[in-house]
Amino acid sequence: MPAKDTRRFHQIAEKAREGVPLSLEEGVFLYRYPDLLAVGALANEVRERLHGDRTYFNVNFHINPTNVCEADCKFCSFARLEPSSPQAYTMSVEQVRQKLVERMDQPVTEIHIVNGLHPDLPFEYYLDILRDLKELRPDIHLKAYTAVEIHFFAEKFSMTYEEVLTRLKDAGLGSLPGGGAEIFADRARNKLCKGKADAAQWLEVHRAAHKVGLRTNCTMLYGTVETLEERVDHMIRLRDLQAETGGFQTFIPLAYHPENNALGKLPAPTGVDNLRTYAVGRLMLHNIPHIKAYWIMVGIKTAQIALSFGVDDLDGTVQEEKIYHMAGADTPQAITRTDLVRLIREAGRHAVERTTLYDVRWEDDGAPLPDIRVESSVPFSGHAGRKSLPVLSH
Amino acid sequence: MERTTPPTPAPLRICAVKFLNARPLFRGLVQQPPLNEAGEPLFEVTTALPSDCAQQLRDGACDVALVPVAAYLDNPEWEVVPGVAIGCQGSVETVVLVSEVPLEKIERIHLDDASRSSSLMLRVLLQEDGQAVQWCDAPHGEGSARVRGADAALVIGDAAFGLRSEFAHVYDLGDLWFERTGLPFVFAFWAARPGALTPAHVSALQHTRDRSLEKYAEAIAREYREQKVASGLAALDENHYANYLRKTIRYGLETHQREGLAEFLSRASRLRAGREVVSDDVHEDVIHVQFAGVEAPARLVAARARTQRLNVDEILDRAAAGERIDLAEGIYLYEHADTMALGLAADARRKALHPEGVVSYIVDRNVNYTNVCVTRCKFCNFFVPPGSRQSYVLPREVLAEKFRETEALGGIQILLQGGLNPDLKLAYYEDLFRWTKENFSLRLHALSPTEILHIAQIEGLSVRAVLQRLMAAGMDSLPGGGAEILDDEIRNRISPFKNSTEEWLEVMRQAHLLGMKSTATMVFGFQETSEHILLHFDRIRSLQDETGGFTAFITWPFQADGTRLKLRDDTSPFRYLRMQALARLYLDNVPNLQVSWPTLGPEIGEIALRFGANDFGSVMIEENVVSQAGATFMLTANEIERHIRQAGFTPKRRHMDYTWIEPAMAPTARRGPTGMSAPA
Repeated sequence: MPAKDTRRFHQIAEKAREGVPLSLEEGVFLYRYPDLLAVGALANEVRERLHGDRTYFNVNFHINPTNVCEADCKFCSFARLEPSSPQAYTMSVEQVRQKLVERMDQPVTEIHIVNGLHPDLPFEYYLDILRDLKELRPDIHLKAYTAVEIHFFAEKFSMTYEEVLTRLKDAGLGSLPGGGAEIFADRARNKLCKGKADAAQWLEVHRAAHKVGLRTNCTMLYGTVETLEERVDHMIRLRDLQAETGGFQTFIPLAYHPENNALGKLPAPTGVDNLRTYAVGRLMLHNIPHIKAYWIMVGIKTAQIALSFGVDDLDGTVQEEKIYHMAGADTPQAITRTDLVRLIREAGRHAVERTTLYDVRWEDDGAPLPDIRVESSVPFSGHAGRKSLPVLSH
Repeated sequence: MERTTPPTPAPLRICAVKFLNARPLFRGLVQQPPLNEAGEPLFEVTTALPSDCAQQLRDGACDVALVPVAAYLDNPEWEVVPGVAIGCQGSVETVVLVSEVPLEKIERIHLDDASRSSSLMLRVLLQEDGQAVQWCDAPHGEGSARVRGADAALVIGDAAFGLRSEFAHVYDLGDLWFERTGLPFVFAFWAARPGALTPAHVSALQHTRDRSLEKYAEAIAREYREQKVASGLAALDENHYANYLRKTIRYGLETHQREGLAEFLSRASRLRAGREVVSDDVHEDVIHVQFAGVEAPARLVAARARTQRLNVDEILDRAAAGERIDLAEGIYLYEHADTMALGLAADARRKALHPEGVVSYIVDRNVNYTNVCVTRCKFCNFFVPPGSRQSYVLPREVLAEKFRETEALGGIQILLQGGLNPDLKLAYYEDLFRWTKENFSLRLHALSPTEILHIAQIEGLSVRAVLQRLMAAGMDSLPGGGAEILDDEIRNRISPFKNSTEEWLEVMRQAHLLGMKSTATMVFGFQETSEHILLHFDRIRSLQDETGGFTAFITWPFQADGTRLKLRDDTSPFRYLRMQALARLYLDNVPNLQVSWPTLGPEIGEIALRFGANDFGSVMIEENVVSQAGATFMLTANEIERHIRQAGFTPKRRHMDYTWIEPAMAPTARRGPTGMSAPA
């Protein structure tokens, strides 16, 4: 590696440590810098400065009330799915309600609701879903409808973003998920999802949401047709809005999944690219508090390693997840709380169950996890200061 | 951490057997009683008949006893002193069936009520022959007086000396067992209630046995004879007794004896369960021995005793620069270094060793020629015991098909491994290797040390001789499997019947001395400590200093699904990356490190290339053992190359010995081999 690259890396590292925003060129440099672990370790430094060893997760479940969608996103298995198509479904409000009824005894704190852009459903449908769920469990947080949906409602029902958001908020909406951002740059976005809310509209919806007092998340879809410059540009646009409003809680990079869609021939991003994206995300987005790994897409193993590359939040304990599973993700659908806490512990971190708004609900106290069999120690193994070996059972 | 001094423990009540053959195991405990640090005796010795020893231990009347191995079936919680037993290989002289008629004409057998293992062995053998006899008990020493007509008697212990001349037919049970199984027999070992034995007790018992055999066999023989004479009993010549102690009785419990032990416990439990055939469900095969812990190796004690302050950054800097780190520093890094710092140092070291930016891989096929195995490792989900209906030995035509496919896919090597199948002798392997070399242009990366040891034992040949003959037949190199954790404390827990650390290393040493190359492996996740891990590394490194024969090191986490090992340990990818990075730093003399994507997936494999590895392993056209326990990843050469490029390296195909394959020889992979994948 040329010495000038090493020098440049150290300059950037200094800026990152001081919390100075990095430029587009600097972000791209970090993406291309061959020493992956140096970038990872820098991101880890920032992560530890912000959160120490704390690693967040929350207990939620997903509902996708309809998969009918008039958008034509090349990366999506639901693209242009018409109501009459055999794959298509639309739940009644009662059916949506039933999803929560089935889980009334579970310690779920959040429901994540995302839909396709259905051409025929009335606005009341979306409001009723929120009202019914809230009525059933007033304490539950509803994180619902992406900016793309909000934009779609505003156009379809002739309202401003703020009007849409205010009405939804009054019906029980707690925050907006970060989906639909895909990649902002026009060149790539036009190839991927021409016709759906563009970058300015997506950002405007989030601006409006922050203004009416809703916190939101943000995402980036990577691994399709975008360049590294376009990834960093995307991050910078999020950072700029955050500087204005402070309303983003979490950045979630979403790795493209290649099956059953029009982009199928592209290979999915793999381990090193995923880690680098988390790390660069952590370093570019100095003003967004959390970086989340969505393990359904990158796999639980890479997600564990990502905890050393800038990630402080894991999206786990997903009870039902339709969208990625139709696209052939082969990771398990759900992870138990015990497994998740163990995974975090084994990465040397401290698990914290959070609410949607990052209030602490539970912290790992280091108590033995229920299904770990560490039975009585054998006294002779205390020799030479060695740690005891548990007895194996037969 | 503050420690309270435990009160001085009372001596362990140990119950031994009066028979001559047991005396070398406890004479020193009486003559020169071993003492603890406080100067108190470690043991309080009594003696009894074998069956009573077991009963006393069961009743809590003693803490340690020399028990018949048959008694262990009822008390599998007992801990056994490693390395010490009373056994034989072939003739034993003092366990005999005496009769006036030939074996097949015997109708009734008077058993000796002091006996457990011998009685059970006799019942096992006769039942397997389909010979129905009536059994009855006789008080110890009185059986031989009841022999008449078709009534025979089992005589054990000192009463059996000199009986050969007194009966028309005398059958030595050691011989009968050996004819049937080709294995040694183990009659008795030291067992203790769980937790009773400390390493000091174990050492004292091992030491007593060693000293007796080195110096006191003649003295024991003389004392024994003098007692007999003093009691007015007939006695044989003193030298006869000494030879009996030195040559007939085997006092070790090494791998070969353990195989005999496993075989006996297996047959005996089948008999008692009333089953004639081997169960196909390995989970019903509960054969197990739990060994007591031994003292820590001296260099570990020395490493732990170091008081000098260690500094992670300083050690990492030195290691990254290629300087050697010692055992204490390795343990310190394992316990204290940040994972990313370990990775950075390992990556720097990898770059210094392999500056070209190339990551290699090989196209080969893993063929498991048989699934029959006698060692019953608890972590293995692949084996079936001998006699199982699910057993297989791949026939030539199946092998030929697999080998042809391998060549067609651009494969250059067969990784040939299997269970320890007692039916397969050295000639089987020689024929197979010659046939392979005559018909295919494939290299043979064949037989792990465990298999080599097994072949040497069943043939009665030295490891070196077996290796020489296999090399002459076409074996090219040795895979490094069967290492698991190279520390007997762990091995005794997870695979009590399998070869020891030293045996594994010795096979590798001999192979390297003969000019063969091999790999070295480590499987973690057996609740081993940092010390076991570093001792494993250290043993590999020391041997490599000596021979230079290891081409590569590979580590992977234990895959527990469906195995009988009921434990949970950290087998996460995070620990794997730490382990691999530390291996890169500690094994400064092993040139290559392979990632293990079959267990962790290609994503982690790719990341692992930044934690010290420079090789992506094998396309693995077929793999049965790990996939039986839940790992099901398959990759084509194209996918492997993509992962290598993603991590920023240039892929290149290699041979086992890490010489490059010229591009002309390496056709771009055709459609992946997934159509031939092993059943998951």
